[in-house]
Amino acid sequence: MEICIYFQVHQPMRLAPYSIFGESARGGDGYFDDELNSQIMRKVASKCYIPANSLMLSLLEKHPEFRVSYSLTGVFLEQCRQFAPEVLESFAALARTGRAEFLSETYYHSLAYLFADKDEFIAQVELHQKAIAEFAQTSPVFRNTEAMFSNDIAYLVERLGYSGILAEGLEHILGWRSPNYLYGVRGCERIKALLRHYKLSDDIGYRFSAKWWSEYPLTADKYARWLSQLQGDCVNIFMDYETFGEHHWEDTGIFKFLEALPAEVEKYPHLRFSTPSELVLKFPARDEIDVPQVISWADMERDTSAWLGNDMQKDAFSLLESLGPAVKETKDAQLIRTWRMLGNSDHFYYMCTKSLSDQDVHNYFSPYDSPFDAYINYMNILRDFQEKLADAKRR
Amino acid sequence: MRVAMLGWEFPPFVSGGLGVHCFELTRALCARGVEIDFFMPVSGKEISSPIPNLRIIEVAKTQLRPYLFFSKSGQRATYGQNLINAVNEYSAKCAETVAEYARQRRYDLIHAHDWMTARAASALKKSLLLPLVQTFHSTEFDRTSWPWDYILDIERAAAANADLIIAVSRRTKAQVMRLGADERKIRVVYNGVDMRRFASAQIDGQAADDFKRNRRVVLFLGRLTEQKGPVQFLHAAAKVLSKDKNVLFLVAGKGELLPLLINMSLQLGISENVRFLGYLSEEDQRRIYKLADVYVMPSTSEPFGITALEAMSCGVPVIISKTSGVAEIAKSAIKVDFWDINAMAAKILAVLYLKPLAKTMGKMASGEAAGLSWEKTAEETLKVYNEALAARG
Repeated sequence: MEICIYFQVHQPMRLAPYSIFGESARGGDGYFDDELNSQIMRKVASKCYIPANSLMLSLLEKHPEFRVSYSLTGVFLEQCRQFAPEVLESFAALARTGRAEFLSETYYHSLAYLFADKDEFIAQVELHQKAIAEFAQTSPVFRNTEAMFSNDIAYLVERLGYSGILAEGLEHILGWRSPNYLYGVRGCERIKALLRHYKLSDDIGYRFSAKWWSEYPLTADKYARWLSQLQGDCVNIFMDYETFGEHHWEDTGIFKFLEALPAEVEKYPHLRFSTPSELVLKFPARDEIDVPQVISWADMERDTSAWLGNDMQKDAFSLLESLGPAVKETKDAQLIRTWRMLGNSDHFYYMCTKSLSDQDVHNYFSPYDSPFDAYINYMNILRDFQEKLADAKRR
Repeated sequence: MRVAMLGWEFPPFVSGGLGVHCFELTRALCARGVEIDFFMPVSGKEISSPIPNLRIIEVAKTQLRPYLFFSKSGQRATYGQNLINAVNEYSAKCAETVAEYARQRRYDLIHAHDWMTARAASALKKSLLLPLVQTFHSTEFDRTSWPWDYILDIERAAAANADLIIAVSRRTKAQVMRLGADERKIRVVYNGVDMRRFASAQIDGQAADDFKRNRRVVLFLGRLTEQKGPVQFLHAAAKVLSKDKNVLFLVAGKGELLPLLINMSLQLGISENVRFLGYLSEEDQRRIYKLADVYVMPSTSEPFGITALEAMSCGVPVIISKTSGVAEIAKSAIKVDFWDINAMAAKILAVLYLKPLAKTMGKMASGEAAGLSWEKTAEETLKVYNEALAARG
């Protein structure tokens, strides 16, 4: 039984409050809140990235069998360079061990796949590959933004040369089957899907510090015991990297848990750590999944409704998409970059109006007072961008 | 359970949220089998009980008013010795009348609303040996920037004497604590809204179109006093109009700031786009929301803000100040700082021109309002009654 641990690493490029009365005092193209972004980046770096990476490095040094994998968005890498270069260096140090894998994704953590024209998606995947190649080996395994996945996505990703893709291990696509195997995808030739074991992943990602949870407190030996009892080829534990020190603060014992885990796992001879590409090489697809509609790992619905569920989100997204061809025609690198930054899925996530428990999760991440404020600010900025674009075309 | 409730207004005699609250609360409580004798000043209007289990008893005439302390010339007309006399006089008569009624039928509990009834309630608590629940719909801190010691003293005593205190929001709870009340005896019970009341309001579509003439309508509805923020409203209006002339600003309500506001609209050069509607009849209040494209409640200090819920129940998008009680519960509202005129104007423009925004907000607003019923308010008030009774054994 192989244990595959993967962390998503991302920080959104939050927008500055835009004043329609012309009182914004921001530099550059003025759309992004450098102050807030740098403040958050530095805070999360000191609470999570730096201590987690240094722990990970020592675990890799101490346990030759230990493996870990990540995907870092381009938006994250840029903010590292700008606000916390030491974080980037610590990821490079992990890469040099040869036992930390860095997966592919869209550079801009975008919803680009959902555009009618797939060229932008492909362009962002290539941009990301280049960015990763600067400090690590690129991976043959892909992970789309927020684990968005479907037959068509897998097909396109396979055409781009990938042999593996991450997805959410949902019951409705698995039926009676277990997430603990690799699966082929309907309509694809050879790409293998790695399905997230969401229960065991969320036991750490969400429930680790939940006092209401019957298994609280979660210890490494207990968790290793659960892993040892699983059947199948592999178990995929995927979560946000910010789980360490940010979603669960240090005083919850989350780092101690991580520190103890490899040794606890090693107590079971049949358990081993693997990276996604090692799994793809080692195991055949045991069956095929069929996912005609896009699924993701977000919210209760596990679909695209976290970003495109209401009228505001659809409106903002369709305006963004409609500007694409004109933006590219300008061949203006700055304009293209800005347009792509405005395509961060996070901007749409903040506009979500779902009720119940998910709203609290959206609020937790949002820099805005409400989804309405998120939409208003985004649209003011996108309209402003649209005018800049028109100016550029006239020139 | 039989309750002697000491109130101030009751429809059709209403000048603010207090009257609406008393009417809706008594109705919902009586539907739950509570018997209520509602004691209030002689109103001069025809007030009859609309419901079984509820008796309306008009105690005596008084010059006291819960809100309108200002004469036309802007003086605090009833302040000073007149007011003190009036309070003493009314309190004595009220206590006397309730005691008289109590001889015929035994009450289980006294429930007093706001400061004007507090003295009578305290006296009755002692003489009848009954538990006392005191609701604060507002405090002197909310009603004026120049709180008057005399009223603060009455409110402090009310807070100290009550067995349990109901505050209409967490914000009001904090104000009541400023009066020295023990946090442990304060319960927050939010106001509600009656969807049916607004669903039945009709407006002639043609007349509405003729009035609007393709202009977007922004509504203010409230007493024209400082803490309701009409000044901020007009300044935001000027900002909006600097971007777009095709917007009409309605100011509904009366109050001591009216002359100042009229002058201000002239000075700002926006009088053409501002309509002062005066005090609206109950029916017109229900209809005016249907004319509005957005409702703005810019209160500088608002203990609750029932009008925001009323607008929401009509599916109107609302923009409210963060310094309001209703902001604690209204998820479908945009919340602004009352002093941030640019933000207020920008949000007004956004609601007027981003259709998906207005649509999403409106839909959420009516859904949310449906969940904020007076039945719920009554249920929680009843819990407070039972708690007060249980504590007495």
